[in-house]
Amino acid sequence: MTSQEQGLKTLIPDLRNIPVDRLAELGSSALARSIALYRERLKENGVPLSSFQARI
Amino acid sequence: MLTSHLLPDAAFRVLAEGTGSPATIRLLHEAQLSKHLMLLHAIAEAASPSGAPAEGLAAFRAGYALLADLQATGEGAEEWLLGLPHLGSWAHDCLIRLEQGSAADFAHFACLVAAAAIRSGLPFELDVPVRDGRVQLPGLGFVRITDECSWIRLCCDGDRVAVGPQWETNRQYLVPDDGSGGSIPQWSGTPMIRAIADGLVWHVLLETEDRYLDRYTLPMAAGLSAEEVRHWRHCAQAAWEVLVQNHRWAAEPMPDVVSVIVPLTPQCDTDLVSATTPAAFGAIATSWPPDPVTMAETLVHESQHVKLCGVLDMVPLIASGGEKVYAPWRQDPRPASGLLQGVYAHLGITRFWNAQRHAETDPDSILRAQVHFARWRAMIDPAAQTLLRTGCLTEAGVRFVDLLRAQGKLLEAEPIAGEAREIAAQAVLDHRLTWQVRHVAIDKAGVASLAAAYRRGESAREQTRPRAWIEAETRKVDPTVRSRLLNMRYLAPARYRELCAGETLVLSEPDRLLVDGRVTAAVQAYCDDIAASADPQPDAWIGLALALHQLPPSPVQVAFASELALMFDVHSHLGGRRNPLDLASWFA
Repeated sequence: MTSQEQGLKTLIPDLRNIPVDRLAELGSSALARSIALYRERLKENGVPLSSFQARI
Repeated sequence: MLTSHLLPDAAFRVLAEGTGSPATIRLLHEAQLSKHLMLLHAIAEAASPSGAPAEGLAAFRAGYALLADLQATGEGAEEWLLGLPHLGSWAHDCLIRLEQGSAADFAHFACLVAAAAIRSGLPFELDVPVRDGRVQLPGLGFVRITDECSWIRLCCDGDRVAVGPQWETNRQYLVPDDGSGGSIPQWSGTPMIRAIADGLVWHVLLETEDRYLDRYTLPMAAGLSAEEVRHWRHCAQAAWEVLVQNHRWAAEPMPDVVSVIVPLTPQCDTDLVSATTPAAFGAIATSWPPDPVTMAETLVHESQHVKLCGVLDMVPLIASGGEKVYAPWRQDPRPASGLLQGVYAHLGITRFWNAQRHAETDPDSILRAQVHFARWRAMIDPAAQTLLRTGCLTEAGVRFVDLLRAQGKLLEAEPIAGEAREIAAQAVLDHRLTWQVRHVAIDKAGVASLAAAYRRGESAREQTRPRAWIEAETRKVDPTVRSRLLNMRYLAPARYRELCAGETLVLSEPDRLLVDGRVTAAVQAYCDDIAASADPQPDAWIGLALALHQLPPSPVQVAFASELALMFDVHSHLGGRRNPLDLASWFA
């Protein structure tokens, strides 16, 4: 993954030019994999909920 | 074909070195826009009618459609929304709640998108939730609602905004409150600070109303009075001047790094607590800083965390788990991920004090800056080495830490005054030894074996050192007046002099001798106290190590600095009541 000439290919898919209502069309793609990875990191890192959301 | 954001090597390098131009920070910011789109898509995919109120889901879907409309205008209006820490924070909570199988607040998304549409003048109609009698427009402010209702119709014709049938205004009035405008009935603009110095402008919101940003270890301040907002504006402006004049490297990217400050309520007036969360890129939280220089340092400190959170979202640098380790700025053992955040923040802090020590003119302020610089620069390399030893760093993480460490080495080459260096060295030693006595557990059988060898008069060098590990609390060591006083020498020199001149200090005799600089007498007094007691005296052992540290180098001094916890346990096992220097000589 590391290529010091080009830089690092990151975990975040570039969605800036994709309309939000077209994201679903990407289906079980790299986007789904990125989301799964992110959700895994959420579980591992244990960043807590906001005080409000933790209360409700 | 879907591609990923790329982090160019030059950007990775400058970020690892603790800096980053506005252009580099924009790379992080752009990745956050995609991350937020990704999270929104994940929430949309997971949002199902089962278990979620129909109105909330309908509001979320209407908001999603409005976001698509915003994108379709091609004017970039959605970028403001996707860059809001408010959005990131809400999306994070939503996703966690969905992971937990509990009800997520889908409806709030309608408020977020409505704020962006109002800001850009895009016509829309939405039903939005009313919470605590308010319609929130995150990033802008809120409208107070007089009707008792839980939902209300929010409309914008591109020019006028109506909330329900009875309230409307021009959308251009629905903006944050920068202190320059008049008031609009029922509208509260989020307080905004507009700091300007030497042509550099920094706009930052003071957020105390967004419940999703109330996510730090201390509670968000409950609203701000007009007077408090004025104080924040004044302090932020003064801090901005400090940064622009003396720390250009930190000031230039600051507007792209920190867009929201969440004021916190400290547990007591003298506490300064600041924090950052990976859930809200662009937001930092802090209690009221006592002076502009401290606020400037806090901004540098927290902006380092924001940058690293942005990097970590893009590139895994560290795996979770691993043994907890010593962090020179914390009382508790930290995971490797926490140590990485800490050392990165302290690289920024060290660089800050390096410049600040040359900018100060008052002798006390110069001393404070010098000691901060000396203390924190000495921590970068050992902390980086600890990180490398944890084995938790990825390949990119090792490179990141190597680059960071090289910057620390450069800072270590800077000359520094002797007094500041000595005060810093004592503060470093006091912190490290206190931490070791508190957290380093040692195998009891190994301690007993060493004690037996000592009794038999065998050489300590031939003995195997017992297994040691880190625990939450192994031995109780209370914070001492001595430590607070020693730190006060540079944190508050005037107060230190005042206390030393008065007669109100409650210090033991050895501590008083140490503070007075009568080091040889202090060594003897600590030894007498330890030898006279059958009970363990951890404070006295640490005091003895601090006193010895001020004497010329000796093997005993080294033993105290490197094996204090072990010597303490062996001494306790022997039943106390013996001169600690005899035991230390054996270890040496």
